[in-house]
Amino acid sequence: MTREPTKTGNHPRKETDMASNAEGPADLRAWLTGCVAQYLRRPETEIDPTVRLADYGLDSVYALALCGDIETHLDMRLSETLVWDYPTVDELAAHLEELVAAQQPAGAR
Amino acid sequence: MTAVTASSADLLDAALAAAEPLRADRVAELDRTETFPAEACRILDELGVPDWYVPARFGGVLKDHSQLVEVVRTIARHDLTVAIAHAKTYLGAVCVWVAGDPERAELLGARIRAGAVVSWALTERGHGSDLLAGELTATPCAGGYRLDGAKWPINNATRAESVCVLARTSADAGARGYSLFLVDKDQLAAGSYQPLPKVRTHGIRGADISGIAFDGAVAPAEALIGRPGEGLEIVLKALQLTRVMAAGLSLGAADHALRLTVRYVRERELYGRRLIELPHVRRSLGEIVTAVLVAESVVMFAGRASGTLTGEMSVYSAVAKALAPTLIDEAIARCGELLGARAFLSTVYEHGAFQKLERDHRIVGIFDGSTFVNRHSLINQFPRLVAGWRERTRDDAGLRAATDPYGEPAEPGRLELFSRTGCSLVQSLPSLVDRVRADAPESVVRLAEHLLARCERLHDEMADLPPQGVAATAAAFDLAHRYELCVAAAAVLSRWSTEPTRPELAAALTLLADRLGDHRPDLAVFDRLTDDLKELS
Repeated sequence: MTREPTKTGNHPRKETDMASNAEGPADLRAWLTGCVAQYLRRPETEIDPTVRLADYGLDSVYALALCGDIETHLDMRLSETLVWDYPTVDELAAHLEELVAAQQPAGAR
Repeated sequence: MTAVTASSADLLDAALAAAEPLRADRVAELDRTETFPAEACRILDELGVPDWYVPARFGGVLKDHSQLVEVVRTIARHDLTVAIAHAKTYLGAVCVWVAGDPERAELLGARIRAGAVVSWALTERGHGSDLLAGELTATPCAGGYRLDGAKWPINNATRAESVCVLARTSADAGARGYSLFLVDKDQLAAGSYQPLPKVRTHGIRGADISGIAFDGAVAPAEALIGRPGEGLEIVLKALQLTRVMAAGLSLGAADHALRLTVRYVRERELYGRRLIELPHVRRSLGEIVTAVLVAESVVMFAGRASGTLTGEMSVYSAVAKALAPTLIDEAIARCGELLGARAFLSTVYEHGAFQKLERDHRIVGIFDGSTFVNRHSLINQFPRLVAGWRERTRDDAGLRAATDPYGEPAEPGRLELFSRTGCSLVQSLPSLVDRVRADAPESVVRLAEHLLARCERLHDEMADLPPQGVAATAAAFDLAHRYELCVAAAAVLSRWSTEPTRPELAAALTLLADRLGDHRPDLAVFDRLTDDLKELS
């Protein structure tokens, strides 16, 4: 795999920027809600974090696109079917927080 | 394309040309009477075609999917109905190849090589492409799973001895609520299933388009493919392979249409000249030949990519399945204009072969995911495609292997539901253009540079598009189509290093530049393509 700029492959870039270090659980949840709202073209305030995204009309194939967005945002490789297996904003956020925490160097937070 | 496949395809082509049941009058008769082409299918069995439906690792000969494309293209060149009727067995088996237990896969491979017909039952009445609306259920019970519900309309549902069925296994698990079963009819209790009547169709009239209804049919536990809840995932991955094969059917239909058209314009005289010598006929025929070459470049690349860029197949399969049937529907229509009344009459000129293939081909753009479904799939991948373009991500080894004419075909590796690396082929466009700069004529360099600029601008437009979600706009669909044309441009340019003397390649770049707009290319390049078609063979 080559990239002409300096980035390397698909491996998590642990030291870099935004989400994985700087962002706390509340930010992650807010970002996720905003992202879902954009897909559904609804105001964020209408997104109930306990309701399945599929019940809002986010079907399984669009859920894959959302998974791609989350991978880009967190700069982590995730299971492709993440949104199928954690189908609400609450479940997704909790799962992602665990993954992000597991990636932190010990004592970083 | 590998030498091995080319020679097997040539042998198959010659055998089919000599086969009595594929003679134009016999094919026309079956179409008229809506009769299944059983004899032609038996000949394909005898010629060993089912070996190509089974991956080498499970006892067959299939490695990468360009081989399967060559096989179905060759059959479709003789009769599209026969190709669709016979190759359906690959679709019936593909989920087992992708996710099944290896021992069961070998058993299925042996049965297919011995002539077993396998069908793939996804859709249900009233639900069409919406797989997660399916209501057929599989409920765990003593002895395995109890199946209740119906699949319709399904190619070969009645003739098949085994059917791969997508069934709901949990009412409340959304995308995880479906599982796949390979159901052998002879293991079901008598009366627990029944075929649904043949559906009458516009094209492929002889095909067994029917259905199957289950009523308390108990399939053994080992019928399950993969794990419970993996049905949708497996189907979406399998479609990345079958869509390439389906696009190969279009290439065969195009070959058939061109053969009929070229023969006619060579033989027919008007104003004391043969039709093929008239300027507008030359232009049209050149454009048709070029459109077919563009489609072929994309489909063959996608076929090779199945083995060398497997993780990106969500892109190549969608592009091939959206673009090739669309280009070839158009090409067939333009052949029809050249043929005049012969394109419309159902008994004259090779027994009405043209109007039959035109009708038959209409289904290719619809089944296995319509053009609309495939473009939607591309739209969903825009963020990854834009990131890949901007970061110039490339799997160079995979790309090299996909374009090396002497490369060994490789079996697919791990399929991914979406490509994390975008599209290595399009992302290599800048270096492909560099390569052309080194040795191509100035006119070709200008075309290549223009295409690169269009591709750059297209990615900017894709980047500016807000997330589309469920209700993608018409503008998004237009971008998806232009993306297909950019993939095609890269596929054509990737052939330059091995086939630089083919005048069709420059013509293909001209066609793509014309369609991508903002350019008035010299269309006379198409006229010259007919020169080598003029001689009577």
